[in-house]
Amino acid sequence: MNQEVNKLQELLARVQRNAALPRTLVSAPESSARVEEAPVAAYTAPAYIAPVAEFTEEEMFFESEPPPPPAPAPVYVREFTPPPPAPGASLDASVDELLLEDPFPSMPPGPSYNEVLEDPVRPASVPTARPLDHEDDVSGVVAISEFTEEQPEELLEDDIVEMTATEAAALPTPNNTLDELNFDDDELDAKRSAPPQSDEAPVSSSRSKIAGTMDEALARAAEQIQLEEGREVPLKTPPPESGPQAAVALPAGIHAPLSPDIEELLEADIMPTGGVRAAVPTAEQLGQTIDLEEARGPSLELDHPTASQPESLQEDLPTEELEVTLPGREFGGGYQDDLMPPPEARQELDAHRQRVGDDSAPPPPESLGQYPSQQPAAAYSGGFAPVIVPSNVTTDSYSESVSTVTVDAPPNAEFAPELLARPDIGPSPVAKFIRVEAPRPKTFMELLDSSLALGSD
Amino acid sequence: MSLNFDPSYALEFDFGRGQIRMANASERVIVPCDALLALCQGASEDAVRDFGRRLGTEAGRVMNDRLGEAWQASLETVLEHLGGELALMGLGSLGLERWGQALVLSFSHSPLGWAGDLLLGSVLEGAMQRSFGRDTVAVKLMRDDQKVRFLLAGHAGASKASSWLAEGVPWGDVLSRLATRGVS
Repeated sequence: MNQEVNKLQELLARVQRNAALPRTLVSAPESSARVEEAPVAAYTAPAYIAPVAEFTEEEMFFESEPPPPPAPAPVYVREFTPPPPAPGASLDASVDELLLEDPFPSMPPGPSYNEVLEDPVRPASVPTARPLDHEDDVSGVVAISEFTEEQPEELLEDDIVEMTATEAAALPTPNNTLDELNFDDDELDAKRSAPPQSDEAPVSSSRSKIAGTMDEALARAAEQIQLEEGREVPLKTPPPESGPQAAVALPAGIHAPLSPDIEELLEADIMPTGGVRAAVPTAEQLGQTIDLEEARGPSLELDHPTASQPESLQEDLPTEELEVTLPGREFGGGYQDDLMPPPEARQELDAHRQRVGDDSAPPPPESLGQYPSQQPAAAYSGGFAPVIVPSNVTTDSYSESVSTVTVDAPPNAEFAPELLARPDIGPSPVAKFIRVEAPRPKTFMELLDSSLALGSD
Repeated sequence: MSLNFDPSYALEFDFGRGQIRMANASERVIVPCDALLALCQGASEDAVRDFGRRLGTEAGRVMNDRLGEAWQASLETVLEHLGGELALMGLGSLGLERWGQALVLSFSHSPLGWAGDLLLGSVLEGAMQRSFGRDTVAVKLMRDDQKVRFLLAGHAGASKASSWLAEGVPWGDVLSRLATRGVS
């Protein structure tokens, strides 16, 4: 709309300039075919005084959208015919009328300025377009940019192209040209076919309407900032070009992970493990810590057994201090006699001994490097004699199949084991194998008779 | 009775007369084996059987003359004497097999070959008839290069065994079948 206003203003200024120039009448035969804008300079008109008081820009009606073109709109290359002089019109027609004329008469004119204002001033007649007839003589000036949206500027001689009939026929087909050029009509059709709800901006479209004024733009920007501040960032990444989406509330029990405490993390990173904190154990660590007492008893020292060293080895001792000669065989090792258990263990050991009933002192521990000492025969105080290998075992065999083993019980046993033996069974055959032999015939006559009897049933 | 067979002086050749005599028997004629086979092949089956039974009867008679009471003779005695007489005839070595209750006699090293089997079987039938007074049928069970076996059975058993053998039943199975049927 602004562009149209600007163009009209420029056109108005141009008209005002041209009005000051001397006017000449151009003969029609010399310019039998001219561009449509040519009549602007062909008519003498009184100096135009813009009716500022009568009409303002807001009152002027401009049809921003051209009407839909006729269905099959061929490319019209029309022969220019000078507009017939209107009855009331003269060469010095009003510039207003010329300005208000539709420079593109190929389209059906909308309500004209005069009709809107109910002005009796008759608009200048506009020649109707008719399809090009190739049979006609088209040797004239042809406006090629007839259907362009922009209003043509004043055409110079270079812009005017003379075409013959054959050249006109070589022009592209009218339908394709119209379809390609008339984009506004498509948009109009789309708007007409769209439902009334489509007036609102689609959700998926992120474009907003262009603000008409700066104040409006500022107001929209402020609203946009307010909306973005109050809107939550959706968890779900919206698909591209899908526009803003409403954040879906998460179900109960499910929440986004909490943001970590940055201070805690920084503190954990800053404090080294072996630093100040490592020296101060935590409460959990203290609960599991056991303070160990220092070792009691004689301190162990490694002493070089000089007494057991043979003289030959003493002489062969190396001079280097780091080398140590292994002790001889006579050093058997062992435990120190005065090695006593700790007091806590002693109490438990005494309690155990009381339970067992053995008050005797335990035998001294033996080293693994020594032979085990012979244990004395303990006095049997219990009622059960331990199993001792009998010193006398006899086997009485009353038969070949039955044997009895007699074990002499130890004399100190109070209860001798009761031995049970199976009763004696005399030798008897337990199995009998009977060899069944076919009766061998004693005489040849018997065998012959038996053979003759075969198969006789 | 354990009289051994003694072939000494069993044959007597009288060159002056040009005769060959067998002890306690009539004159013998020594003929080529192939000529005898040609004669048997040219004769009918009944003629061959009759010829063979005559030979067997002569052998049985001689055995009886030697043994006296042949019906009391054991297996070994009969085999020894009967086999000796057939050996003097040059028919081969007689053998005896006992398969359960079946009596099987065999000839080994017979010069007649497979062509003289019918003749040999008929000889056995004639010997049994003459020695023990039993009509027997000698059924040939098998034959190989060296030995031919004959089952001595009655007419019923012989017919069954012959039919089974004709069906391809092995001769061992034939004897088993005969023994089974005989027991049941």
